[in-house]
This record gives sequence, structure tokens and C-alpha cells, in this order.
Amino acid sequence: MQVPDTPHTGLSRRGLLRGLAAAAGAGAAAALSGCSTEVLSGLTASRETAGSVEFWNLFGGGDGVRMQQMLETYQRANPQVELSAVTLAWGNPYYTKLSLATIGDKPPDVAVSHLTRMKNLVEADLLQELDPALLARHGLGADRFTPRTWEAGLVDGRVFSIPLDTHPFVMFYNTDVCEKAGLLDDSGALAPLDSPEAFIDAMRRAKEVTGAYGGVVAFISETATPWRIFQSFYSQLGGQVIADQGREVVIDDAKATEVLTFLRGLTADGLFPAAADYQGSIAMFAEGQAGFYFQGEWEISTFQTAKTPFSMTLLPHLFREGPYAVQADSHTFVLPRHPDDSPERVDRALGFVASMLDQSRTWAEGGHVPSWQPFLESAGYREMKPQSNYASAAEAAAYDAEGWYSGSGSNFEIVMGSAVGGVMNGQVAPAAAVRQVRSTLSGLARTPSPI
Amino acid sequence: MALTTMGGAGVTQEKIEQRHRLFNRICFGVLIAFALLWLVPLAWAVDTALKPNAETTRTTWLIDNPTFAAFQRVLDDTAILNWFGASLITATMTAVGTVITASLAAFALSRLRFRYRNLVFWIILAGIMIPGQVLIVPQFREMDALGLLNTYWAVSLPQIPTAIAIFIFKQFFDGLPRDLEEAARIDGAGWFRIYRQVVMPLARPAVAAVAIFTFVTSWNDLLWPLLVLTNPDLMTVPVGLATVQGAFGIRYADTMASAVLGAIPLVAVFLLFQRNIVEGIAGTGLKG
Amino acid sequence: MSIETVTPRARPAEVPGSPAPARPSHGRPAIGFLLPFAVLYLAFIIGPAVYGLVMSFFDASLVRSGLGSFAGFGNYAEALQDPDFWSSLWHTVWFTILTTPPLIVLAFVLALLADRVNRGRWFFRLAFFAPFILPSAVVALIWIFMYTPELGLIEAALAKIGITSPAWLGDPNWAMPSLALTTVWWTLGFNFILYLAGLQEIPRELYEASAIDGASPWQQIRRITIPMLGRTTTLVAVLQVIASLKVFDQMYLMTSGGPNFATRSILQYVYDQGFTNFRLGYAAAISMLFFLVVLAVSAVWFSLVRRQEKEV
Repeated sequence: MQVPDTPHTGLSRRGLLRGLAAAAGAGAAAALSGCSTEVLSGLTASRETAGSVEFWNLFGGGDGVRMQQMLETYQRANPQVELSAVTLAWGNPYYTKLSLATIGDKPPDVAVSHLTRMKNLVEADLLQELDPALLARHGLGADRFTPRTWEAGLVDGRVFSIPLDTHPFVMFYNTDVCEKAGLLDDSGALAPLDSPEAFIDAMRRAKEVTGAYGGVVAFISETATPWRIFQSFYSQLGGQVIADQGREVVIDDAKATEVLTFLRGLTADGLFPAAADYQGSIAMFAEGQAGFYFQGEWEISTFQTAKTPFSMTLLPHLFREGPYAVQADSHTFVLPRHPDDSPERVDRALGFVASMLDQSRTWAEGGHVPSWQPFLESAGYREMKPQSNYASAAEAAAYDAEGWYSGSGSNFEIVMGSAVGGVMNGQVAPAAAVRQVRSTLSGLARTPSPI
Repeated sequence: MALTTMGGAGVTQEKIEQRHRLFNRICFGVLIAFALLWLVPLAWAVDTALKPNAETTRTTWLIDNPTFAAFQRVLDDTAILNWFGASLITATMTAVGTVITASLAAFALSRLRFRYRNLVFWIILAGIMIPGQVLIVPQFREMDALGLLNTYWAVSLPQIPTAIAIFIFKQFFDGLPRDLEEAARIDGAGWFRIYRQVVMPLARPAVAAVAIFTFVTSWNDLLWPLLVLTNPDLMTVPVGLATVQGAFGIRYADTMASAVLGAIPLVAVFLLFQRNIVEGIAGTGLKG
Repeated sequence: MSIETVTPRARPAEVPGSPAPARPSHGRPAIGFLLPFAVLYLAFIIGPAVYGLVMSFFDASLVRSGLGSFAGFGNYAEALQDPDFWSSLWHTVWFTILTTPPLIVLAFVLALLADRVNRGRWFFRLAFFAPFILPSAVVALIWIFMYTPELGLIEAALAKIGITSPAWLGDPNWAMPSLALTTVWWTLGFNFILYLAGLQEIPRELYEASAIDGASPWQQIRRITIPMLGRTTTLVAVLQVIASLKVFDQMYLMTSGGPNFATRSILQYVYDQGFTNFRLGYAAAISMLFFLVVLAVSAVWFSLVRRQEKEV
């Protein structure tokens, strides 16, 4: 065939043939190697779930490595199950993806959700309710979990999630620095700090030893950490920020100002660095420039790897107006609403969850406080140091208040964390920060819940 | 033109030529420098992908133990082959759909006479003004209602009606000679036969331009497939890479290997169709 | 790569005139030819556009069916008072300001140089254009690694010449310029090709004649090339501004709109409100406001083109 004369000679016949051949080749290659039935199901919207468990999680870093071990153990014990585990990027994108997948009828069988984010998923009718009798049959009865964690996860008394752990905000301390500063007792443990004054004194003595700072907490380019330290102390004063499902802003000016003034004092007096981001704060503690470090317990692996001489304990009970409280959240397992509601699929999913909980020991090595009582109460856990030092934090967990804009990594945390960070940085006065927070949150509180 | 007055006295022809040669040489040098600079990120990605993960913490181009292990791990640990399949299917569906619907419509606008032709043309013209991105919210709702979420139809269908493709075809058809089709008319051929057997074979350059562009655009789209494809087995390459990137953590060799793998199909398309792509941009962009 | 970016300049003068009365009309076949496109166009463009407009007047939620309660202009009023809306709009404009001039000037200069060089043009096309066809996700993976503190190539290269790098993507002041730099690298090739094509349209004789008249290369550029490329520059500038306003991928992939929302673009704000906060009605209203901005830019383009055509 002869290519007819055309006014535009942009494409030669050879070029076109070459292109077609390449496209056909690529298509064939993909068909042979990649185009499994899963790929083709995208054309037909069919679902094939027999014998498989699809699991979504948001664990990176050390958590991800340990989760991988646990998945391998499960796979070895259940070779007949086709397990596909997907790790997605943390934070809002994760929950967006989970919601959209459920709305789009292709959710995973099991997903990890923060306890404080789970409730909004329930409100949005995206999660499957779990029948207590069914849970008991899989050995997942309420009595096998830390009571505080279990109860915090109930929605109107109904079960939608199975808690894996509690991850509280804790205090890391450099044992060498604290020893030189005379802060350790005879047994080598940190002497209790039970008032703001005692805390400041300890920081001052640690600062003398390090020659740089007493303690460090991240609050630059970082909103979760400043929120967590504020929420911990503010809760010890009995304060609340929002109430009535987020419809009311009830921040207590006096209490909030007291905590903010205290935190600002730490940076203003040079006991804490006046600017530290997440990575920077880790580096300062790892290199001994700060004797104390405040963060979630998950950073335990970082300092073990860095061979920092350190231990960990509860964030101190400084404000004794109320009972002990510390900011925390929990990772939970949830079963998103699935178009296939066959009992076999649900059984497989719960069997998977039970296997994960059975491996709480592996999980606890990463610092998280297990919610699985059989392990939590075992000698094995009690001997796990420093993890068991702060186990009681789970019972004093101050979860983020309920509200459609609240929860781990939410807008609420970002608003609060930015304000606290601004105060610690010296940019905003405590009273002004409280006013700013109240006005921003009021806007969110007035917005009718979209859920 | 005012240029005629610029000939300076005393400047010999030879000197001018010398000056131009020198200038061209400088041009070449600057250009080479920029081109090499432009290739650095790609070369660095390939270089890193060929390192073992442990070597990636040293910022050097040298590789002590070059290996394809990172590529192997990406192929094993992610559903990247599925993503290739999904991208190939959606991009092909979009390209084929666009070529067919746009060329049919353009044929009518170019060859047929009917009432409201101008109006139809203007309505299509107006469509160019609507950026697809402002429609993601209602389109998502629509796909949900149609039960098409997590299918390739949801990805492709909204991308098919592109007004610009109609313009490219119409412009091309307008430029085609009409003798052949008039002869066919006299032989009693219907409009569809003329479209299929006379006009389309002549319009291959336009078909190539539209098909390649649509294919590449669709392959690279992120926002829309990110919304409608949430099952990791069904994701297209960009969505898959964007979604599971966190899973690699600090294993830079693996991350770069996934980037290189994600780039390969389009680099191949580019090398094969370089001239079509370039002429497509130049032609449609300027001669319109 | 976006097909919209190859928009030919609309030439209303070319719209076919009314059919001559003597010739027969082809109404019926025309419907057949237009139907496939028309169905998809109505179903997936016009329909959603109307639905989106309606939705913007309701408190529609992603996780509730139907439109929800009527909100009147409530969503619009809220958006106009919403500091996050204005800041994300500003970030979008700031990104446009940072990317457009280098993408025009650099593409012009490089195309000009390439036009003067006879050897290895394919190599320059490859080098400048290849990044453009890569998916944004690939570009993001490569550049996140380039920007990594301590290990990144950029920090290492700058350290060699004694410059201390800021936290490229981690510092709120540097994150946007960093994204802009990545974008210039990524999309320069498109404008480069447009300019190269424009340059080739300029008759060689003009250069030859001026060279004979003793014009220096610099004079040639100023007196011939730049004026002759006026139309190309208008086209490039408008396409560039519109493409930059629609930015989403780079932020979503490289900074998630952070640090502390310093790089959240307007489209990402739509995404966040609609699909993370489930507020579809509000997201639809923001989309409409954004649409108005794009329309305004397009209108400016049309008037520029009109004026240029009158001049020619």
C-alpha cells in the first residue's frame, strides 16, 4: 500500500508501523506479565475475594519493619490465605484513601485506623459493626483488652474497632546526663518530678551537664508534637478544648494560658531550644545536647539504633489539680464496609486480627503499649524495659476530643499545634494564642458536620 | 526595514562572519552546559537505582557494587506490573475513544452542512474553557452513582470528550483536498464511508498527534485517577507510585528504581514518536 | 502533559459561515456523527458542570447521599471569609509568579541558542523535552531525593562550593521555590519546543539580509527574533499561566501542601475539603470560584490575541 500524498507529512509510514509494533509488543508484554485477573477486574467491576485478606496500614520506619515480621508469621501459619498488605502514606491522605475506597466498594478487608479517626469513619457509616459474640468466638472479647482503650473505642456502646495498642506521649531521658546531674535515685531510675518547679529544676541541672539544653521538644514545621505536650499538661489541669461533638469550643483561658506560659518559660529561659524541628530534636537528644526529649514512644528504635544511653518514663504529672493524664492515641483494626458480607470473609479478617494481637510482643518492642491484656499482664512484658515503665499511660490516655474536624493528624491538631508552636517560638503571647485558637475553632465548630 | 541602516562603516564582511561563528560557538557551549544540567536528575536516579541501598547514603556517582537488586525488589514487593497494565488499558481506552469521537464530530463540522452548525461549534469551543479539574467533585459523585468507581471506565470516560481534539481534526480536515470525496459522492458513497475510507486514511498525521497526546496525557494524569482508583491492584502508574511511596521509607535505591521503572514506558513512547510529539506540539500550538 | 495546553489560537473568523441556500442540508447524518461526542460531552462535562454549580449551593457531603440541606450562598460566603481559601489561592498565584517568568525566558533563550546550532539538535530536544513526558509521580520521587537533607545531590553540590543549604522542602519559605525549580525542570521542554517551532517560522532571509548589513547577533535577536516571536510568547505565557494555576501534583506529591500548609494550592484545597473533610458542597463552591479565576485569565488571553491580530 502506498501512503497517499498528504498536505502534512508529519508521520511517515515507517514511523507509524514502528509505533504500532511497539504498542502491540508492550500490550502483549503487559498482558502476559502484568495483566492478571485483578487488572482486568477494573473493566468489569467484578470482585474476587475468596480466600484472601487485604490489609491496609500506615506503618513506616521501625513500625513497618515489625509489622512486616508479624505479617510473615501470619502468612506462615495460614499459607492458604492470600494475604496482600499495603502500606500507604500516613496522615490525612491515608484516611481520604480509606474513605474513598469504601465509598467505591473496593475497601480492604482489614485496615488500621487511629482510634480518634475511627469514630468519624463510623459516623460516616464506612465501618462494619462488630458483634461481641462473634469477637468472643475469635478470642477477641472485651475482657482481653485494656479497659480504658477498649471503652474509648466504643461508639454509643457499640464495637467498630479492635485496639492494637496505645501510643502515649512520653519522656525520654539521657541516663548519663541525668546521673551526672544527680537526678537518678539509688536504683538508677529517674526521681519523680511532681511540680512545674521540680521539672524546671531538673531541666536546669541537665542543662548544666550538657552545656547546651536541658530538654528538647519539636515545634518547628511540626504541629502534632506541640499539640501533644500541651494537651498532656492541659488535661492534667482538667481542661478541655472542644465539646459536644466539636460543636462547642470550651477552651479554658486560665488553664490554657497557664500551660502555654509554662511551655514558653522553658524556651525563653534557654532550658529548651527556641527552635527545633522533628529531625533536629532527635539529633539533639541522640547527640547528648539535651538531657530530656519529649515525643511519642515510637522513637525508641531511633535511639536504640543510635546507641544513645537513654531510658523512658511517663511524662511527669506536673499539674496536680486533676488526676494523671497524658495525650495518647491508639492504633486499632477496623473492618470497612465491604460489598461481600459473607461470614467466611469476616471470619478470615478477624482471624488475621487475632493473629496480629497474638504477636503483641513483637509490636511492643517498637515502644507501643499493647492493649492485649494476655501479653500486657505477662512477666515477659513487665521485664521489657524501658517499655513497661510507661505502661500505665494507657489507663490515663487523654484522647483528642470527638468532632468531625478532630483526631490524629486532623485540622484540629494542626490549629492547636501551630498556636502552641507559635507561643514556644516566642512569636505569639499565650493569651493571644488562646484568642486565636478560639476564633479559628469557632469557625469549624459553627460549620455543620459534613458527616 | 530599519535594518538596512545598520551596516557600520569599516566592518568587513569577514569580520562579521567571524563574529557570528564565535557567537554560535558560545551558543553551543551554553546549550551543552544546560542540556547536561537537565540530564543530571535522570542520570542520578538511574545511578542510585543501580546501587545497593547501603551505598545510597554516600552522595557519589561511583558505585562499588552495581546491582539490579532494587529493580527486582520493586517488581516483587509492589504491584507495579499491575499498574503498567492499568495505565496501558486506561490510556489506550482514552486515546482510542478520543480519536473516534473527536474525528467523527470534526468530520461533521468540517464537511456537513446543517442548521446550528455555528452554535454547535461555539458550544464545543466553550468546553475548552472548563478545566477538567474544577469538575472533580461532581464527576466523583456521578461515578459513584453509576457504580463505576474503581473501574477503568471511571478514569477514561470523562477524559474522552476533549474539545481540543475536535479542533485539531477539524483544522486538518479543512485543509484536505475535496476531489477524492466528491468522486466518492458521485459513486454513491455514504458520508460514513467517505469518513472511513477517504478522509481518515488521509488524516493519519492528525490521528497520530491526537492519539499520542491523549495517550501520554492520560497515562500521566494523577488527580482524577487518584480519586477514582483506590484499590492498589487497579491503580495506574502515577497513582501507585504516589500512594505507596511512603512504604519504601529511606530505601533510596528502591525508591529510585520504582521511579525509573515508572518512567520507562513513556521514555520508550517518546523515543519512538519523538518527531510526532514535537511536530504535534509545534503544529497544533502555533499554526492553529 | 495536558492536551489543553496545545490549544490552537481560536480564530472565530474561521468558523464556517452559514450554508449556501442552494446546497442540500445534511442534518440527519450530522446528528449521527456528532452523537458519540455529544453524549459523552453532556454526560461527563456539561452535566457535572451543572451539577457542581447546583451542589455549591448545598451542604452536600461525600458520605451522605443526595445534596443535603440548602445553603444558599453560604458556601460562597464562607469561602470568601475563609483564610485558608485565600492563602491557598495566594500560594497558587505565588507558584505561578515563581514558575512563569523562568519558564518563558529560559525556554526562549535555550530555543534561541538551539536554533543557531546546527549540530545535535536531537540531543537538546531529548535533554529538555524528556522530563516533560514523565509522570509527575516519577518527577516527585526523583526530586524529593535530590532535595533530601544530608544525602541529597543538591545539598552535596552546594556544599562543594561552600553554600549551606536550607531545608529545601522542609522550610516554609523555601518549599515553594523548591517546587517551582522542580516544575521548571519538568515542563521547560514544552515551551522550548513551542519557541523552537516559532523560530523556524522566521524566514532565514531576514537574518541573511541583516548580516550582510552588518548586524551583530545581538542586534539580530533584538530587532528580528523578539518581535517576530510576539505571538508565540503570548501563547506560551497564557498556556503557562493557566497550567500553573492548575497546579496540584507537585504539592500533593512532594510536600503534601506543607510545611504547615505553606504550599497548599487551590486545587489541593478543593481536594482536602471535598475528599478529606467530606465537604463536597463547599469544595464545589471553591471549584466555581477557581473557575472564575481561570475564566478571567482566559478572557485576558482572548483580548491579547485579538489586539495582536489587529496589529498584524
